[in-house]
Amino acid sequence: MIKRSRQVRDYKALDKTLPTLQFTTPIEVFIHLQNNRCKTYDLFVKEGDKVKLGEVIAMRHGGFFEQPVHSTVSGVVGKASRKFHRTGRKVDVIQITNDFHDTFHESVVDRPDALIKKLTQAEMVEIVKDKGLVGLGGSGFPTYIKLGTKEKIDTVVVNAVECEPYLSSDYRMILQNPGQILEGLKYIMQALGAKKGLIAIKSKKTPLSQILNQELKTRYSDMNVEVAMLGNHYPQGWEIEMFKWALGIEIPHGELPTKYGVVGFNVSTTYGIYNAIKHNLPVYERHFTVNGDAVKFPQNIRVRVGTSVKKLIEISDGYDETQKEVVVVLGGPMMGTSVVSDDVVVSKTTTSVLVFKNVEYKEEPCVRCGSCVYSCPVHIEPVQIMNAVKRNDKDAMKGLEAYKCIECGLCTYVCTSKIHVTDYVRKAKIKLG
Amino acid sequence: MENTLPKIVRKTSPYLRRPKASVTRMMRDVTIALLPVTIFAIYKFGMAAVVIIILSILAMAATEYIYYQIVDKVDGEKFKFKNKSFTLYNYSVVTSGLIYALTLPDNTPWFVVIIGASFGVFFGKLIFGGLGQNVFNPAALGRVFIVVSFGTMMSYDVDAVAGATALGVLNDNVFGSGVLENFKLMNLFTGMGIPGSIGEMSAILIILGGVYLALRTSFEVRIPLVYIGTVALLAASVAIYQGLGIWYPVFHVLSGGLLFGAVFMATDPITSPITKGGRIYFAFALGVLTFFIRLFGAYPEGVVFSILIMNMFVATFDYYKWTNQQITRKQKIIFLIVILVTIAITLVGVSYVG
Repeated sequence: MIKRSRQVRDYKALDKTLPTLQFTTPIEVFIHLQNNRCKTYDLFVKEGDKVKLGEVIAMRHGGFFEQPVHSTVSGVVGKASRKFHRTGRKVDVIQITNDFHDTFHESVVDRPDALIKKLTQAEMVEIVKDKGLVGLGGSGFPTYIKLGTKEKIDTVVVNAVECEPYLSSDYRMILQNPGQILEGLKYIMQALGAKKGLIAIKSKKTPLSQILNQELKTRYSDMNVEVAMLGNHYPQGWEIEMFKWALGIEIPHGELPTKYGVVGFNVSTTYGIYNAIKHNLPVYERHFTVNGDAVKFPQNIRVRVGTSVKKLIEISDGYDETQKEVVVVLGGPMMGTSVVSDDVVVSKTTTSVLVFKNVEYKEEPCVRCGSCVYSCPVHIEPVQIMNAVKRNDKDAMKGLEAYKCIECGLCTYVCTSKIHVTDYVRKAKIKLG
Repeated sequence: MENTLPKIVRKTSPYLRRPKASVTRMMRDVTIALLPVTIFAIYKFGMAAVVIIILSILAMAATEYIYYQIVDKVDGEKFKFKNKSFTLYNYSVVTSGLIYALTLPDNTPWFVVIIGASFGVFFGKLIFGGLGQNVFNPAALGRVFIVVSFGTMMSYDVDAVAGATALGVLNDNVFGSGVLENFKLMNLFTGMGIPGSIGEMSAILIILGGVYLALRTSFEVRIPLVYIGTVALLAASVAIYQGLGIWYPVFHVLSGGLLFGAVFMATDPITSPITKGGRIYFAFALGVLTFFIRLFGAYPEGVVFSILIMNMFVATFDYYKWTNQQITRKQKIIFLIVILVTIAITLVGVSYVG
């Protein structure tokens, strides 16, 4: 127990092997008009308007960028209301009732390969910007900013690590669309002029490496792309950790990877880029995991963006009724957000919903075993920060570099005394501002 | 239908905890690791050992129990037979009591055992706020207290040399190889046929316990390795300087309470620094202090003293201005210089003593 321990039990055995359920015909969808990065918006449609799939219905305004919002079904615009977002806050949403025709908007046209070959970086950035693509791993960072970097990029890394336990939506997606992902990577490499591509996966996931290598050997033999098998530890999917393992490049705190000639894209984002450039489609569907020990039938579902999470839990046979209290988590079990209601809708960046039994862990006094210190991926000392928070010592919090914390949750996970160390470090981060 | 749905509660991430990790498991592991040594002590000393062990554990547990009941009373809580702060439930007090008992000589009077145990647990642990807050190792504090206060009442049951343990003999005649005639290295290794504290004699059984703890990762294996390594290194440099044989460092490692203290007392996580580097430097300092007390001090044995002295400096190791989770290049260079300087000081000291 007093050791560097980064193995997190992954609980993926079941839902990884199940085929993905197709649930692409919701009766109604709710589209987020705000999100964690964009507070204001302009709505272009009104109640009763007919919209088509892929039509721009609103424009979100963020601090330094704008983001178009697309309809993910064809149908009739309904009322605006407020629902929970992935981040746990209530935001404005607009309802669209499905007419089940899936009529695509006129702008959705395939680009021929010959045309794509001639696209410049600026043109690709424009397409990606128009389709409102963001980091689909959960960050929600606008992809066009990454894609439009002026730095010289040598290597593009596709992050398919998915190190959070319970989640297997990326796994299923790669298994079903390996070609599209390689195609998307090709476009990124073309845009950035990168010579090399890497697809980072966990070494445990051999089926993925087999299927990707098969594709690379047969259809994409001209691409300089490798499949990198990384370690099985957590947080391997954190970009900085991934670069360190895949390329041996250590990026110091607060610096952008592009400065070091590398750039990372989530695998879902790569798929989104493929759809945007090849089919001129926005992200209107995504692979979604419903899992956890208090949901009856854990599985992966392919859903329309805007589907109600409540509905998805219902199709998974609902909650375990023997439980009096459950915890509903959007995102992974280590970093996800707990929400107070299941009245949430799937946004582009929501990867999963997990339903857990509410287990109260009994906290014991800290015995200073040092597991959190040994395990911390950013090399800070969570237990000392915790003590500094308890005595409200800001100098110590700063001296212990609490601001470096990425809130991966590993310190709480490994704690011998079951203390919620991450919460204290969060408090320290808030206090440091 | 609505009523059958479970209530959704809000928590903060992460929602998982490592299975099979708990304070109870850690403390229980230490107790299990102490079992071979305990059984050997009972086998060798019979009822005397049994009495000391039982008295120590009971005295420590009783002191702690009464203390917490008084604290609850002062806080105005209602009397509950099962006190929640009482650390018997997570083996912590059993572990302390057992370690304390095993460091005692077999003919320690019963009241001395009780006084030491109560003193150790009260001033070593409870007064600082209980488990996890203590500055000193309770077992070491109790042991030192009775050595200082009741030293004359405890003598080792000696068959080989009148009134002296192996280190006692070496303390009188620092570099004489005559000590080997009475204390065979093999005997020191197995614990047969030598005098000493009831639990500190059999090197092999202590190492067995240490290996168990290392496999269960219930202690920091670097501390005993560096501690023992430091003593061996300094003894070896003295041996080379004085022209003594290989027996000298081996003798220093196997005799006295070094192995027991290094494996069971110095590794108490509460009273050792929190970082990997800090733990290595802490263990090194322990080794240096132990060797200096043995060689230059008045007492033949320095393990418990050095542990208590270094316990005071744990907070210094962890001071936020220089603590570092990783061992940097700068730290390595400074540490290397410190090792060399320490060896030089030892040899200068030896040239005066010898």
